Amino acid sequence: MDITAELQKIVGGRLSVSPSELYCYSSDASQVKGIPDYVVRPKSTDEVSRIVRLAYENRIPVTARGAGTGLAGGAVPVKGGIVLDMSGMNRILEIDIDNIQVLVEPGIIQDTLNETLKPYGFFFPPNPGSSAMCTIGGMIAYNASGMRCVKYGTTRNYVRDLEVVLADGTVIHTGSKMLKSAAGYDLTQLIVGSEGTLGIVTKARLKIAPLPKIRKLVIASFENAETAGQAVVKTFSHGVIPSACEILDRVSLQVLKRYDPKLVLPSEGDVILFEVDGTENSAREAAEQIMAVCAPLALSIRLAESEKEMADIWAARKLVGAAVSRLDPTKSRIYVGEDVGVPIKKIPELLKRVQEIAEKFNLPAMKYGHIGDGNLHLALFIDVLNKDEWDRLNKAADLVHRTAIELEGTVSSEHGIGAARAEYMKAQWGPALEVMRAIKNVLDPKGILNPGKLGL
Amino acid sequence: MKNEGKKETEQTKETEKIKITPKNINENESESEKQSFEVDRRSVYRCVQCGTCRSVCPVFDVVGWESANTRGRMLIIKSLLEGRPPSEDVLSSLASCTTCGICASKCPAGANPPEVVEAARAQLVKCGITTDAQKNLKSAIITYGNSFGETRARKHWLSGTERSKLPEKSDYVYFVGCFDSYRYPEFAKKTFDILQRFGVTLLPDEHCCASPLLRTGFREDAEKVMQHNLEQIRKVGAHTIITSCAGCYTTLKNNYPEELKVISLPEFLAEHLEELNLKKLDLTVTYHDPCHLGRHNKVYDAPRKVIQSICTLKEMKNIKENARCCGGGGGVRTGYPDISLELARNRLKDVPEGVDYIVTSCPLCVRNLRDAGGNIEVIDIVELVAMAIE
Repeated sequence: MDITAELQKIVGGRLSVSPSELYCYSSDASQVKGIPDYVVRPKSTDEVSRIVRLAYENRIPVTARGAGTGLAGGAVPVKGGIVLDMSGMNRILEIDIDNIQVLVEPGIIQDTLNETLKPYGFFFPPNPGSSAMCTIGGMIAYNASGMRCVKYGTTRNYVRDLEVVLADGTVIHTGSKMLKSAAGYDLTQLIVGSEGTLGIVTKARLKIAPLPKIRKLVIASFENAETAGQAVVKTFSHGVIPSACEILDRVSLQVLKRYDPKLVLPSEGDVILFEVDGTENSAREAAEQIMAVCAPLALSIRLAESEKEMADIWAARKLVGAAVSRLDPTKSRIYVGEDVGVPIKKIPELLKRVQEIAEKFNLPAMKYGHIGDGNLHLALFIDVLNKDEWDRLNKAADLVHRTAIELEGTVSSEHGIGAARAEYMKAQWGPALEVMRAIKNVLDPKGILNPGKLGL
Repeated sequence: MKNEGKKETEQTKETEKIKITPKNINENESESEKQSFEVDRRSVYRCVQCGTCRSVCPVFDVVGWESANTRGRMLIIKSLLEGRPPSEDVLSSLASCTTCGICASKCPAGANPPEVVEAARAQLVKCGITTDAQKNLKSAIITYGNSFGETRARKHWLSGTERSKLPEKSDYVYFVGCFDSYRYPEFAKKTFDILQRFGVTLLPDEHCCASPLLRTGFREDAEKVMQHNLEQIRKVGAHTIITSCAGCYTTLKNNYPEELKVISLPEFLAEHLEELNLKKLDLTVTYHDPCHLGRHNKVYDAPRKVIQSICTLKEMKNIKENARCCGGGGGVRTGYPDISLELARNRLKDVPEGVDYIVTSCPLCVRNLRDAGGNIEVIDIVELVAMAIE
């Protein structure tokens, strides 16, 4: 069968087999590579269904892709086949404020959704650093979260219903408009985080949240990362739940200052950014409480002066991961071992061990992340033209992953497993991995949906 | 944006380069004539593929394919460096960048994609891979000295008497540019009417500044054109060049020898506001920042100062470093007119309510924004100034 001709019948000119185009879809922001045979940009559920059915009948791998901002190779077609670029299915189909929910297509960009919701006084809280370009479909596939999940939870907590194209092209709905349901298995939660291995999401009904009246930001610096970790643990145990709780080590601070020289950040120590939100009174009270709890441990502590200062700090923080080259143009940040997480109480130990690993392999490291939920983003940077540095980098990342498992944590808190972390699934899950494989086999018997991912 | 001549020398010192001989290029060439694909590897690898550029690339916004955004272009260039033979297949990606530079201003890793894209285009030219539009543009400039293939005299907008009275020597020269010479001679006339008061003259035989050649990769041809203009400048004995075209400005400033002082018309006007004695007009206008004047050279305040000395300025939705491209630059207007006009239409969406004119400081922007339609007249800053003088 002439697959190109068949695909053309479905999507017309929204198909490419040009070598240059295929190359552009052969990677995401990770180091995983795989060239597709076809890229299509569907516009409707019907088109997706027909493409997947064609792939099913001809045993062709199908990999869905949003903005390709993933850090685990989840959208990379490691077994070739068809890449479904879903970013063109980007409409907001319904804003239902009365039921506090929206119905969207998967290609809608997170920031665009929130800009649209702002005039209504609502927002979709999960906010990854890539919110300016990442799609909601990608966020659902990898259960993305970001800085505010410490208070608001992850994408998983906001999905009410999904329209999903199954491996044979069948279209199902996994949920409803309802806030709660006791009718059968929760297929919505099965699909969230399944990385496109069980079906292709074509519509999503999402819960939204009222925008807080006010946000305040406490900037505290500590002598070292361990003390900073202790301050966070202490804050939580005093009953304060910040809306964001981020750690920035010394290197991160230097990078941020290079990125935006206007930022006023502590010149020494490791910094924690505590954001609190709510009404003027509740936010002020929470901020004061954090300052009182942290003061005995902190080198310095202050409240951000204005909304503008807060916005500038968050904007820079969002991009810090990719900004390492600002410090040294010969070094690039490589996303490996970058998303481990441990129970909050073990954060100080994780920070210590990660630093030891970086030193052992003589790699410069930057540590930042969502310390409030135990998620550490370790940034190791190397000269990409130096093979020895690549070798050391991969060894260090491996050790970081194994350390997280040893500390009862996870190899991925929010970026996903994809192909990059597939090898750790056995160690992470033990016999539960077989249950996942069984589910995969039932829903995708021919193994066409995003093969080579999740260690399945 | 950057001086390729100056920059390249610096880069060569510290840069490792790899050479890849394309397989599909003329087999009859001798070994020494065979072309290779060389681009500074470090500047390419600086891209960490985070995709931030997806959120700002105006061409991607219109086209939608990954190859039409900056990350895609960097990936394609990387693939050529890593051994994929260059072919025509890369053109729709690499030739469709307007070099507007908004990706560079947003890139967290500090990559400079317009510079990389221009370097890659130069390599493609060496390999004989260009679009027909690029070839035609080059041929027009080389044959006729202007980007339109016009056979008329470049100073046709001056009368014979005016031409004969032009001072042969002056410290200041008005570099007119192809657009004002042939498409907007009324801008040229108004500009020169003002500049003449300050003793500014014209080059005896001005040719295209070479911007289109540099932006599209014809670096060797550009050198010849620039040499011609430099000789003309030496003949006049000028130390300062004034230009009203953003493309000419960035080229003269960053690609010509450093000793040349280059001033944009808005900067010149802003410096001489008192002498110009402009009257106030009861108008509200908005201002479109041309990419090659604004983002590439940071000339943001001078045009605003001039406008505000005449009338009320109401800013567009995205301004200064965030200004969206009109779609005209980088050879895109010529090579991909549909994409180019779509970009212009998108830019017009940033225009605020209640303005009488859209003012800008680049004839290419004027042209593209006018062609995109819209119900508000687009004018060059010199026209606003001329209204305030009359």
